[in-house]
Amino acid sequence: MTGELDTLLREPAFSAVAWRARDISGAGPVLKSGWPRLDAALPGGGWPLGTLIELLLPRHGVGELTLLLPALRALAATTDEELRWLTWIGPPHEPYAPALAQAGIRPERLLLVRVTGERERLWATEQALQSASCSAVLAWLESVPERALRRLKLAAGQGNVFGVLLRPLKERAETSPATLRLALMPTADGLAVEVVKRRGGGRERIADVLSGA
Amino acid sequence: MRARGSTRDLFAPLPAPPAPPAPRTPPRPAPESAAAPESRQLWLCAQLPELALAAVGAAQDARAVVEGIDRRQIVVAANAAAAAHGVAAGLGLNAAYALCPTLIIQERDARAEEYLLNALARLATRYTPVVSLAPPDEILLEIRASRRLFGGLDALIARFRAELTALGHTLRIGLAPTAQAARWLARAGNVLVESPALLAGRLGTLGIACTRWPPDVQEALARFGVSRLGELNRLPRDGLARRCPIRVLDELDAAYGRRPAPRTRYLAPERFHERLDFDEPVETLAQLNPALGRLLDALGRYLTVRAAAAASLTFSFEHRGQSATRVVLARSSAAHAAGDWRTLLQERLMRLTLRAPVIAVRLRSGVVTSAQARSGTLPGMTDAAAVNAAAGALLDRLRARLGDSAVSGLCLVPEHRPEAAARRVVPQAALSREPILVPSAPRPLWLLNQPEPLTLRASEPWYHGRLDLESGPERIESGWWDGADVRRDYYVAATESGVRLWIYCTHSSRRWFLHGVFA
Repeated sequence: MTGELDTLLREPAFSAVAWRARDISGAGPVLKSGWPRLDAALPGGGWPLGTLIELLLPRHGVGELTLLLPALRALAATTDEELRWLTWIGPPHEPYAPALAQAGIRPERLLLVRVTGERERLWATEQALQSASCSAVLAWLESVPERALRRLKLAAGQGNVFGVLLRPLKERAETSPATLRLALMPTADGLAVEVVKRRGGGRERIADVLSGA
Repeated sequence: MRARGSTRDLFAPLPAPPAPPAPRTPPRPAPESAAAPESRQLWLCAQLPELALAAVGAAQDARAVVEGIDRRQIVVAANAAAAAHGVAAGLGLNAAYALCPTLIIQERDARAEEYLLNALARLATRYTPVVSLAPPDEILLEIRASRRLFGGLDALIARFRAELTALGHTLRIGLAPTAQAARWLARAGNVLVESPALLAGRLGTLGIACTRWPPDVQEALARFGVSRLGELNRLPRDGLARRCPIRVLDELDAAYGRRPAPRTRYLAPERFHERLDFDEPVETLAQLNPALGRLLDALGRYLTVRAAAAASLTFSFEHRGQSATRVVLARSSAAHAAGDWRTLLQERLMRLTLRAPVIAVRLRSGVVTSAQARSGTLPGMTDAAAVNAAAGALLDRLRARLGDSAVSGLCLVPEHRPEAAARRVVPQAALSREPILVPSAPRPLWLLNQPEPLTLRASEPWYHGRLDLESGPERIESGWWDGADVRRDYYVAATESGVRLWIYCTHSSRRWFLHGVFA
């Protein structure tokens, strides 16, 4: 159905009268996600930088890190003079360095922050997002008031940081100022991603996003 | 006719031959022995024979510290438990092991010894301002002027000895009018000589071993038949000068007081120290802020004047009748301006609760080092130095609020056992260029701290549903040498809900465990 609408709207007769919101939204700097099906669904063709991205997970370990790994690898492969950290705040388990090395990320690039308490977690995330020394910030948060999320978005907007919040799927119903919200669901065919919110609007469901890389 | 020079002139007696040459003056004339300039000093030497052991840490079991000398490992010091077996300094490593098979060997840590010696010298400056270090294991104090303050020589020595012994050091004391003699007397045992007149006699009875001269020199002196310092003193000086190194005569003269031997004075490194009293006891932290601001301003002026930077600060909040509350702030790079410390202090104070009202605040800095001026970066340019400074600042802020152990980095360890193949480290400031060894089999991104045992259903592992074994087995057998040996078969398994797990089966007992999750 969407495909037919696409072909219809690309007709020259229609382009003067009808446009899709997605096509006109000015996307800022983007980072290619490395998964072609996901890139096709994201405005600008990749992860937006300098803002908040939310990944909503039913449980840990569905494949969220595999989804983020190509982008993290690209960020980690910068020149040595500028050491920018990939900061992980409050991960649920210990990240395993040999697995990171297998994925192509040198373990020294990681900065791990262990926190107890939601206030400390939010504070650490804000500090990392606004610091010029972090190229990526991954924060595991639970229920966060919207005011705090707005502050985090302001902090991320000060630079070009790749900021990702990983939250439980039940937070999907809460409003959030994040620019991009994706819900991840494992299915029998692979990992399915539902775009809950993106620049330019529109919902989309991508089946088996982790194939075809 | 006049005689043209009489033959008498020709045969005038020749002039007398020149006198035979005067005897050759000895190369080092004996200096004046009257009223040597050091006779009005009194030196106390504390020798710490077990400093090498204290530097590597005390222990109950038999330990010895070894050092590699001429490609052989020689025991430098042995603690009491090892000495009971007969292990002593100077033994080779094999001999030490033969005497005590359960001996634990540690490498000598020269830097730790130096650090300890400096710390003890700082302690010694409370007794006298003239302290000198005599490495590797001696401290010299000039105490002629301090005797009255401490209530006499015996009281001073007893107090000094008690203070060092309370810290866990064994020491030998020597007292003499000259520094060199004090050192030799300390090595001989606890020998105290107060008046210069008795010095020569007491020194004369010391054996040559107290001087710690090189072994070949001591052997040469033994061949001369010299076994005591008194005999050495009576030998002719020019012969000694020809046969022994210059050092022997120099030290002998210095010890007997014939020659002044000035020593470099130990100077404690400069620190900032300031104290503010309050008129009334202060209850809340908010009321403390103006005082802390003033202290930090004073610190900033002190550092600016010296073009220096401090790496750590200690705030002491003093209470009436109780011990003070201490707050220690440390930075990863020495901060120049007081403003850098202010934010750190605010973060730390939010975690602090005052036990009692504060009557005074004291600020003491750590060691102050000279700082390089920071050049500002033009806005819009991403300077590598600016990024590094931002990285350091982020680390400091996180550590100040969350604690030092909350922030860490990761590094790989070359180990087959999965739980030992990675560990937490201090976050790196620079990347290492070493190539990293990557295991070929897949590894999960999350590793559980403790492997979780899995229940079995119909002799298949079960974890909230059936598990499909996707790949494996990967056999890991390792660690037989330190008692934590593992023999496991690892598999990648998928649960019904689509999560991929890393599970293993132990070889010996056929039990299944969950070790990691692929994210």
